[in-house]
Amino acid sequence: MKSDRFERWLQNIHHTRDEEISCSECFDSVSHFVEVEVSGEDPAIKLPQVRQHLDQCPACREEYETLRDLRRLEEEDGIPSADDLQDLIP
Amino acid sequence: MSSTRTNQEWLHDLNASGALQEAAIADLRDLLLRAALYFFSRNLGDFRGLSREEITQRAEDCAQDALLAVLKHLPDFRGDSKFSTWAYKFAINIAMMAARRERWKGVSLDELASSDESSFFEWMMQDKSDGVAPERFAMQGEIRGIIQDVIRNDLTDKQRRVLSLMIFNEVPMDEVVRHLGANRNAIYKMLHDARRKIKSSLQARGFEVGEMLSLFGASG
Repeated sequence: MKSDRFERWLQNIHHTRDEEISCSECFDSVSHFVEVEVSGEDPAIKLPQVRQHLDQCPACREEYETLRDLRRLEEEDGIPSADDLQDLIP
Repeated sequence: MSSTRTNQEWLHDLNASGALQEAAIADLRDLLLRAALYFFSRNLGDFRGLSREEITQRAEDCAQDALLAVLKHLPDFRGDSKFSTWAYKFAINIAMMAARRERWKGVSLDELASSDESSFFEWMMQDKSDGVAPERFAMQGEIRGIIQDVIRNDLTDKQRRVLSLMIFNEVPMDEVVRHLGANRNAIYKMLHDARRKIKSSLQARGFEVGEMLSLFGASG
């Protein structure tokens, strides 16, 4: 719904800071951010600027969420083989 | 096996020569292919109409591009994560761009970029108007007016186009980047500047953003 989208945008405006890191800076640190999170620590405490950027930038957030889930999968069951992953494609 | 290498072993083997390096590159490419396939498997909606073979081929292409990117950036690896985690992000980044390009091919972004933001606001207000007290509705309208003023008067044409594409039409950032021949940093900065201007204009007119959020039903 458009109203939900507008509310999300208002949230983004609300949490806007004068200084925010760029997508490149976020990319440089996102693997560290994920590693801290997977270790059980709160990455927002250690890397608050990355957390803030991820909350504002949907592209970087989606990459982060995929990386985090992939890293967790690696930790738990291992990442499936390429053949197994291809089998998920109909 | 790739998964048993330490960070130091990855760096050593990839910087070696001969069979040791070849094996490390093959293992790395396999990891990157799996990361690309993992992203694609979560986003199959981006590939409607493509066969499994075609999707797999795109994942192979992404893995190859990611391999080149990882090798190019190898000196930048700081060791603050597992090497594989650091490498995966290149594959995910490239796979996401490929997926969004596939999903949005054939859509005229010029047309979307030129759409007037007022239609978005009208629709939004209509959507929220049911059951809203008149006073609250009037305040929502005032906030909408301030935001529209900023968009019309304080933003550059390019900022308005980016806003129209990404906020009003939900075009993914990488497609906007491609359409405008820019990069993510530049697009992000435009959005950031727009947010800052809107926030300060609202505050200058006496609206605290927390109050604004509650008016529209969002929580801070």
